[in-house]
Amino acid sequence: MSLRASRRKLPGSPRSSRRNASRVMRSALCAATLLALAVCVEVVAADMNKVVRHVFPAAEEGFDPAAAHDLYSGTVEQAIFETLLTYDYLARPSKLVPLAAQSLPEVSDGGRSYTFRVRPGIYFSPDAAFKGKKRELVAEDYAFSLKRLVDPKIRSPWAWLLEGKIIGLDELAAAAKKSGKFDYDARLPGLEVVDRYTLRIRLKQPDYDLSYVLAHEPTSAVAREVVETYADVGGRVMANPVGTGPYRLANWIRSSKIFLEANPEYRGFTWNFKAGSDPEDARIVAEMKGKMMPQVGRVEISIMEEDQSRLLAFQNGELDLMNLEGPLAPMVMNGASLSGEMRKKGVKLSRFVDPELSYHYWNMTDPVVGGLSKEKIALRRAMAMAYDVDEEIRIVRNGQAIEAQYPIPPGVVGNDPAYRSSVKHDATSANALLDRFGYKKGPDGWRTLPDGKPLVLRYASRPDSLGRQQDEMWKKALDSISIRMEVQKDKFTELLKLEKQCRLQMRTASWIADYPDGDNFMQLLYSKNIFQSNNACATIPEYDKLYEQSIRIPAGPERDRLYHEMARIIETYAPWRLGISRYRNMLIQPRVLGYKKHPILHSEWQYIDVDTTGKGG
Amino acid sequence: MYGYIIRRLWQMIPTLLGVILLVFLLFNWVGGDPAYVLAGKISSAEQIENIRRQLGVDQPYYVQLWIFVKQVLTADFGASWSTNEPVSHIMTTRLGPSLTVLIPYLILSTLVAMGLALAVAYVRGSLTDRAVMIVCTVGLSISILVYIIVFQYVFAYKLGWFPVQGWSDSFGQNLVVYGSLPIIILLVVSIAPDLRLFRTFVLDEINHDYVRTARAKGVSENRIMWVHVLRNASIPIITHVMAQVPGLLIGAFLVERFFSIPGIGREVILAVERSDFPVIKAITVYVAVATMVFTLLADLMYKAVDPRVQLK
Repeated sequence: MSLRASRRKLPGSPRSSRRNASRVMRSALCAATLLALAVCVEVVAADMNKVVRHVFPAAEEGFDPAAAHDLYSGTVEQAIFETLLTYDYLARPSKLVPLAAQSLPEVSDGGRSYTFRVRPGIYFSPDAAFKGKKRELVAEDYAFSLKRLVDPKIRSPWAWLLEGKIIGLDELAAAAKKSGKFDYDARLPGLEVVDRYTLRIRLKQPDYDLSYVLAHEPTSAVAREVVETYADVGGRVMANPVGTGPYRLANWIRSSKIFLEANPEYRGFTWNFKAGSDPEDARIVAEMKGKMMPQVGRVEISIMEEDQSRLLAFQNGELDLMNLEGPLAPMVMNGASLSGEMRKKGVKLSRFVDPELSYHYWNMTDPVVGGLSKEKIALRRAMAMAYDVDEEIRIVRNGQAIEAQYPIPPGVVGNDPAYRSSVKHDATSANALLDRFGYKKGPDGWRTLPDGKPLVLRYASRPDSLGRQQDEMWKKALDSISIRMEVQKDKFTELLKLEKQCRLQMRTASWIADYPDGDNFMQLLYSKNIFQSNNACATIPEYDKLYEQSIRIPAGPERDRLYHEMARIIETYAPWRLGISRYRNMLIQPRVLGYKKHPILHSEWQYIDVDTTGKGG
Repeated sequence: MYGYIIRRLWQMIPTLLGVILLVFLLFNWVGGDPAYVLAGKISSAEQIENIRRQLGVDQPYYVQLWIFVKQVLTADFGASWSTNEPVSHIMTTRLGPSLTVLIPYLILSTLVAMGLALAVAYVRGSLTDRAVMIVCTVGLSISILVYIIVFQYVFAYKLGWFPVQGWSDSFGQNLVVYGSLPIIILLVVSIAPDLRLFRTFVLDEINHDYVRTARAKGVSENRIMWVHVLRNASIPIITHVMAQVPGLLIGAFLVERFFSIPGIGREVILAVERSDFPVIKAITVYVAVATMVFTLLADLMYKAVDPRVQLK
């Protein structure tokens, strides 16, 4: 709305003085409001000349929050759609803050009821699906979007975020499976739209992670009209994302280029984040404080699968932001910092340990390595001790990782940086342990099972370079304790299938946080998650008991104490050998201002600025 | 002529059926189950079954095969399993970028290799001929990957003559700006083997009696080489060029990946990584059909180039 337009709407001459005064007052008020609006729109509007060029190393799937499940689609979705909650840009560890919600939820009924109030005046970006009308975001949009996650037709990979949690939702999904049609109009006791802006979620049991779930992009608000207009036969809207976020999809060359532009309906915000303990924060605050956001008008994302192409394009100035993958690190980094050449160019680095965990697991149902008997525990512990994580970091990860001491990685609530695992690399002790429990060496030098049968381990891995390196690492480790190892090579899809069916004997897996809470990691060994996320297929009653206690209490010292006990149980029974957590190294061109990679958020374009004066940062 | 074409088209049917069967068997043998990837990080057996049912991979093999045959007959391969993008859309949108690079490359490569082959064959046995052959042998021994990495580093990054990568909506910009370096690399890679092969074809012709007769009659060397020799040598050249066209669509995947060209080759790799059977099926069948069509076109071109050829 322009100022000129607002002036044209001012009323004409008054007939009486009183009426005149009143009209003048009204006019003044109206003009002031319109002026404020005009100024606001003018300030909020991003500069379309400010472009950020980003790169993805793999192709995106599409932009339906309920359907796409790759990181790169999620990154774009975060810029287009809005969740009720999000994370503070600078706060570490990650801290929840409201996004489309007015405030953090009111939690009542002992953690069973969450009430959210959607901020009035948020609008979807204009789209033909709205038939020319402005479309405000309301509570019903979130109820609709959450229902989509369990609609069997959509076959959302994110259904697990809500399954078994919201009262009535599972029953609605079950009815849809029978009838073939999901009833989106059904009123659920667990998803109550109290009024236009209020959504109350009632849970079957207390869940202190629901707020994190509602900050995760699959729970973003999607308008029903958009789904009804563009959905494919599977009910998915992969190519027509329409959201309330700071950006909208301007052009898309699938698997090649994604162009985003500032959403004209976006309300904007003032950059006012507080610096944390990181010394870099002060510079970021100085660069950004008080600016109306978003500043960047356009985001251009290129998909480049090849390492060399990405690095050369960045060094050539064709990219502004780039995640430096492990194999590239030695080319531009000296340990933890950038090489002299990169520093000379003014390139900045945002570096932190990813909230992920890589671990080596043994199938606890396998007749050779599984089970809770003493000799099986001894076998697994010996193998865990034989493995040299430091060497993996040095050789396989090019120094771009840290050894995981705790099942919860840094940056995730519940992590204890002071905790030290009792499992260390010690081949001598490992050999002694095996000797003690009857794993004798045969005439060929290889150990046998205590009953004299041959002992051969099958390590499963992918037929790629990382898989081959992991084979070598484990072969070396098992050779050092005289255990014969065979490699089971298979495609990723096949490995995943065998893993979920508990048919692999041993493999290296990794888990990246869906939300920054320890539960997301500790559930990986809960026996009820066998055939789902418990890929060690472990049933350890002591662990299960503690896990069930932990989910009933909020994060805090009491839960941390339980997590400590659970970590010791993992070390004792050794279903896993903890591996590593990788560093994330984001390279930033000097012209990009205010950038800091967030450990959980995927896209930060709405928080940064670009220096168009050519002076650099 | 028309009878010949119709007969050849009929002969394509059993070949196509063989291709369908082979693709189907291969995918079901080594293709993997996509349901486990599509189901996401945490999924129950019930969800995986739901996905398998929706994809149709829970059907008996004969039903799946019949669906595949129907898809080929209707040219409707459905939608990608991972992105839900219609396969027809994938084909139409990815073909353009591939052809933008491949057509100029193929034309340039054929013309340059033919010209050089004629020139080198003309000075057969000379130092120039031997030097060119040595260079060709060395060139042949180097992998395309090395050419790509070195050329991208030197010409795009160090010298800045080309962008390191990229693609746009503009055909002209793609051809001139983004496509130039990939075309040059493909040219450099193909010139050596093509030149050696074409030189052999030309040498075969140069030793024929009609060349000696033409020389005895006083026909100029230019006319002998460019008209008489080239016309006769062009039949094996046409065979070679036409045979490599369909394969190039997929074979250029390395160039497409390194230079971010959203073409068919890159899509094939992506589809294989994702176990995206509809896309793999469609591309394999289309490439098989293209191979058969180009073989037929090559036969028809023999007749156009040399009227003595009889199509039977």
